[in-house]
Amino acid sequence: MSKHRVSRRQFLSYTLTGVGGFMAAGMLMPMVRFAVDPVLKGEDTGDFIATPLKTTDINTEPQKVNFKFKQKDAWYESEETGTAWVFKNEAGEIVALSPVCKHLGCIVDWGTDKEHPEQFFCPCHYGRYEKDGTNVPGTPPLAPLDVYPTKEKDGFLYVGKAEPRKGA
Amino acid sequence: MRWVAADVEMFQKAAEYVDTVIVPLLPVSFDAEMKQHASMAEFTGLLTTQLEKQFRGRIFLFPGFVYMKDEVDSLIALNHWENTLLEKQFHHIFYVTSDSSWRQREKDLKGNVLWIPSLSLDQMQDEQKRTIVEEQVKQLLPLFIELWNEK
Ligand code: FES
Repeated sequence: MSKHRVSRRQFLSYTLTGVGGFMAAGMLMPMVRFAVDPVLKGEDTGDFIATPLKTTDINTEPQKVNFKFKQKDAWYESEETGTAWVFKNEAGEIVALSPVCKHLGCIVDWGTDKEHPEQFFCPCHYGRYEKDGTNVPGTPPLAPLDVYPTKEKDGFLYVGKAEPRKGA
Repeated sequence: MRWVAADVEMFQKAAEYVDTVIVPLLPVSFDAEMKQHASMAEFTGLLTTQLEKQFRGRIFLFPGFVYMKDEVDSLIALNHWENTLLEKQFHHIFYVTSDSSWRQREKDLKGNVLWIPSLSLDQMQDEQKRTIVEEQVKQLLPLFIELWNEK
């Protein structure tokens, strides 16, 4: 009949607090990590993502470059693969275009339409774009391909977040 | 487009452009083949997700058609799916599966069966998984494009 004996109910509520404590810690830990993480990550490249393409390998023919980046939704952080079409334009500037068709979002290819080998082609509804990304009137897309801001670091190409082309 | 609210909204605005559906066929069982069937679902899932990314403006990727492996009526149930889909504006149906029994049953279906032998991905590094799935997808893309070009 000792007062210190733990009754079943008490035991249960202790245990539950215990579990609750764990759960709270489990929730807090990642939050702390998110808050601290960006500071710990050294690389000061802003929002630019490294691609495996050397800038010296870029020529006037568009080539497809894949790069990896982390994407976070409400639950998971996953590694995604992004793609860009990269080439040098007549002025010798590097251009990186998003491959996502501005019509309904299929992936466009370079030169796959036999009649228009010097254009980007969308296999879904035969949308076409000039080399600089301008949509060809009369095909379904109503806007030019998005453009990635680019920069060079240690000889490699870095790309930012693709944006709609300005002044188009 | 996928079976999520935002994509359905997009679909409803652009339905005339979306004439093709993908339905993953996923067997389920609880005995010796259980693990194998789980691998199939994983593999088919990754593959169809990638296909959808390539062709999201023209393809609607439906959630999987899941059936017990020993269920004899799954063909009838699937026939019902495809009749419904064809009655709507869809013209092309692709079933993606690792379950070889659908190869024999393809003659009783109006859609095309894309049978892909499953690989168990659980022992693999992410990088390796990705390469394998991408390779497979690359081989499948022309099938879709050819079929679209037919008419
Ligand atoms: S999605 Fe590219 S033309 Fe329709």
